[in-house]
Amino acid sequence: MDRVALDCQKESQLIEHRIRFSKDENYEVPVYNTPIPPVENFKLMLDGKIPFWMPSDSDTLSIIPRILPDNVARGYVLEAEPLAPEENGGVDMFGVDWVFVPSVGGSMVKPGNPKLADICDWKKVITFPNLDDYDWEGSAVKNAPILEKNRDKFIETWIFNGLFERLISFLDFEGAALALLDEEQQEAVHELFDRLCILYDDLIGRLQKYYGVHFVTFHDDWGSQRAPFFSLETCREMIAPYLKRVVESCHKRGLYFNFHSCGKNEMLVPAMIEAGIDMWIPQTMNDFDMLVREYGDKLCLGLRLAELPPTATDEEISAAAASYIERSKGCTRVFTSGALFARSNPAMAKLLREIYFQSREAYNKLAAN
Amino acid sequence: MSIVKEIASAVEAGKSKVVGGLVEQALKEGVEPSVILNEGMISAMGIVGEKFKNNEIFVPEMLIAARAMKKGVEVLQPHLAKQGVEPIGKVILGTVSGDLHDIGKNLVGMMIEGAGFKVIDLGVDVPPEKFIEAMKENPDCKIVALSALLTSTMPALTSTIKAIEEAGLRNTVKIMVGGAPVTQAFADEIGADGYSEDAASAAELAKKLFKEATA
Repeated sequence: MDRVALDCQKESQLIEHRIRFSKDENYEVPVYNTPIPPVENFKLMLDGKIPFWMPSDSDTLSIIPRILPDNVARGYVLEAEPLAPEENGGVDMFGVDWVFVPSVGGSMVKPGNPKLADICDWKKVITFPNLDDYDWEGSAVKNAPILEKNRDKFIETWIFNGLFERLISFLDFEGAALALLDEEQQEAVHELFDRLCILYDDLIGRLQKYYGVHFVTFHDDWGSQRAPFFSLETCREMIAPYLKRVVESCHKRGLYFNFHSCGKNEMLVPAMIEAGIDMWIPQTMNDFDMLVREYGDKLCLGLRLAELPPTATDEEISAAAASYIERSKGCTRVFTSGALFARSNPAMAKLLREIYFQSREAYNKLAAN
Repeated sequence: MSIVKEIASAVEAGKSKVVGGLVEQALKEGVEPSVILNEGMISAMGIVGEKFKNNEIFVPEMLIAARAMKKGVEVLQPHLAKQGVEPIGKVILGTVSGDLHDIGKNLVGMMIEGAGFKVIDLGVDVPPEKFIEAMKENPDCKIVALSALLTSTMPALTSTIKAIEEAGLRNTVKIMVGGAPVTQAFADEIGADGYSEDAASAAELAKKLFKEATA
């Protein structure tokens, strides 16, 4: 793909405003003139080529449909018909009951009464969902107008409750953590994860078919603010082989895999890489500079934008943009995450544009060398 | 290797199936129950806590060690009771009102128990009056440990401490706080006696506060 020199005037041109799905009320975002569609720019980064600009989550569109009970249970639906506040929470597709916590904007299983007392009983107790039960056609028709309008964006969906989170939802946290290491429970965990991989494969196929997504964000928190929940060795033995299968379910369909895993999980990155994930947005307690240095050639890393005060001056915004480009240290497999702030904060909207322009120049220079 | 060291090593490695047998063997060999408890099990959990703090081991290893200790204590308990060996103290523990999170609280409880305390776990979403009720029921309890995971429930730490003050019980206990958003500065600001950032440090803090409370 031929590089195009930055044309500030042309690329500042506002093409239109488009609907962006949101948890509470869908809203409009500006769309600017870009030399290539944002989806193609994202793919350049993911395929190890130099993108035209540093990709941003403002270049994406999320479709997280309400037909999947997990999305409603977790209180995270992004589609043409957002959830009313009272609809958040409830039972997921395995019948596990989630409590929505409004102040956090997310849900949790009320602890103390897990569905499974013993993981070895999962085949007797757990009923796997039949994905045919959900109105895929209806949901696809309802969301198609917005999705079709945004085909130039990098379209994602989420799968809530990755492998460890699913195990926690069945056993509570301690039960799940113990089951990963207890020799008497490990076999049952392997069998459950194997069965979950079959479900996720089916699910990914449908998400692609009905919504035409380009990538899947798989939600599996692996750590606390100070450390991972489990060792790299445990992860490699118990989780990573199944994560790899989910990644392969994406890759075989030409989809990319974004890993959403909160916590200080930098110690587990080797397992993420072995599983073949394409992207991870580490939380800020991780050493981003180290991650870029050590792993920047093996996976794409999301750099979280810190929110600027709405009154930030143009100089401050420009300096902030420069600092984000500097932090990528010439690694062109870094993208930014912080589009949400731009909805209500004009300084953040300006910052996204400033990162776009500065990275356009920086990446063109890199490509020329 | 002495039998006590064998017990310690089995607890540390989380070998719950062998710990009970080793404790029985130690008792047959005439080892004092308190020695088995302190040098065999509590010291092993201390090492586990230290390794956890240093990220040498993680939650599953800690849980499996605690489970092994529990098996040993089950065998040991009647012998400890016969000799009048009591837990070193009591700790009332709970996640404050409005907060349903129990992971950190449970790990703290486990490590404090591993340090030789009896833990009275009130669960999650615990209103101040329930803490006060538990304190009145356990006047010999010297430590109250409060957990909050959410920034939105941090004020409940403040109100719980205030309620304990208003009930006239503040001077009877040391109060320790913890949870992801909690800091030492916040603990100082709300008048807590201690703060710890992880479960292993919480056990050390409980020992320190208990010593201060009983000095």
